[in-house]
Amino acid sequence: MPLVPMPDGFSPVETEGFGGFSGPVLGGADADGPVFLFDIAAKHLNLYGRLHGGMMMGLMSMVMGEGARTRTRAGNSAAKTRPLSLNCDFISAGEPGDRVEGRTIVTRATRSILFMRGSLMVGERLLMTATGVYAVETEGRK
Amino acid sequence: MTKVTPPAGFSRQELPVPFEVHMGPLFERVETDGSRVGAFIADERHLRADGTVHEGMLMTFADAFLGRAAMHEAGDRSVVTLSMQASFLADIKSGDLVECRTKIEKKTRSVVFVSAHFTVGGEEVMATASLWKISGTG
Repeated sequence: MPLVPMPDGFSPVETEGFGGFSGPVLGGADADGPVFLFDIAAKHLNLYGRLHGGMMMGLMSMVMGEGARTRTRAGNSAAKTRPLSLNCDFISAGEPGDRVEGRTIVTRATRSILFMRGSLMVGERLLMTATGVYAVETEGRK
Repeated sequence: MTKVTPPAGFSRQELPVPFEVHMGPLFERVETDGSRVGAFIADERHLRADGTVHEGMLMTFADAFLGRAAMHEAGDRSVVTLSMQASFLADIKSGDLVECRTKIEKKTRSVVFVSAHFTVGGEEVMATASLWKISGTG
C-alpha cells in the first residue's frame, strides 16, 4: 500500500503479476496531464539503500507501457502493444520514502510503431529519462 | 522469499539486495572457463497481463547480473547504473529458465561497458547494452 493516502482520482495500474508484486503504481492526472505515482519502500532498495535500478526501469516500463496502451486503445480497442526496445538513463538516485512521479508522451505514432519518451522525478529532481519503441499489433497483423 | 530449487549446476545468488530478494531468487553458475552464467525461473510474479514475462522483470534481472559483472571487472569496487538499453526479441513464459551471459566491452578509469545476451533453451530472448560508473572515480 502507498506510504501516504492515495490521491483522489488515482487508482493502481498493472495490478497483476510484475506490477502487482513490485508496485503498487498509481495512475491518474494532474494539471500537467497523466501522471503515475510510486512510493519507494524497503523492498525496492539496492545494496546501497537506494532505489534499485531494476525497479526504476520496471517503473519506467510500466509508465511508458500504460502511455502506449492508452494511445493504441484510443485508435483501436482490440490492438495490443509490445515493447521492442527500452533505453533508460539513470540521472540521480531515489531514496526510501521518496514519492516518484512518472510521465510519458508519444513522440511519434505510425500504423505499427509507437515512439515513447518518459521521465521519473522526485519533486524537482530528475531520476531517469527514457525512450521506448513499441510495436502495435492488430488482429492478423504483426 | 519464494522457495525455488536452483536449476542443475546453478547456486543461489546470496547477496542481500532487498529488491532482488523480493523478485528472485536469482541463480549463478561458473563455467569451466571461469565465465559466469546468471539465471532465474519465470513465475507468476514476473508476468504481464498477457501472461508473458514483463520487460520490467527482465531489466531487473539484467541490472542485477550485469551489475555483478561490472563490479567484478572494477575489482569489486561498487558500481551504479548509468544507462541500459534492452531489445526484446521473443516472448518468455512462466516456468521458463532465463539465462544471461555477459561480455565486458570496455573498461575505462571510471566507466565499465557491459553487453549481454539472454536465452531460453538456447533461443535468444533479449539483448542488452549498458554503462556503469565505478564509485569513487570522480
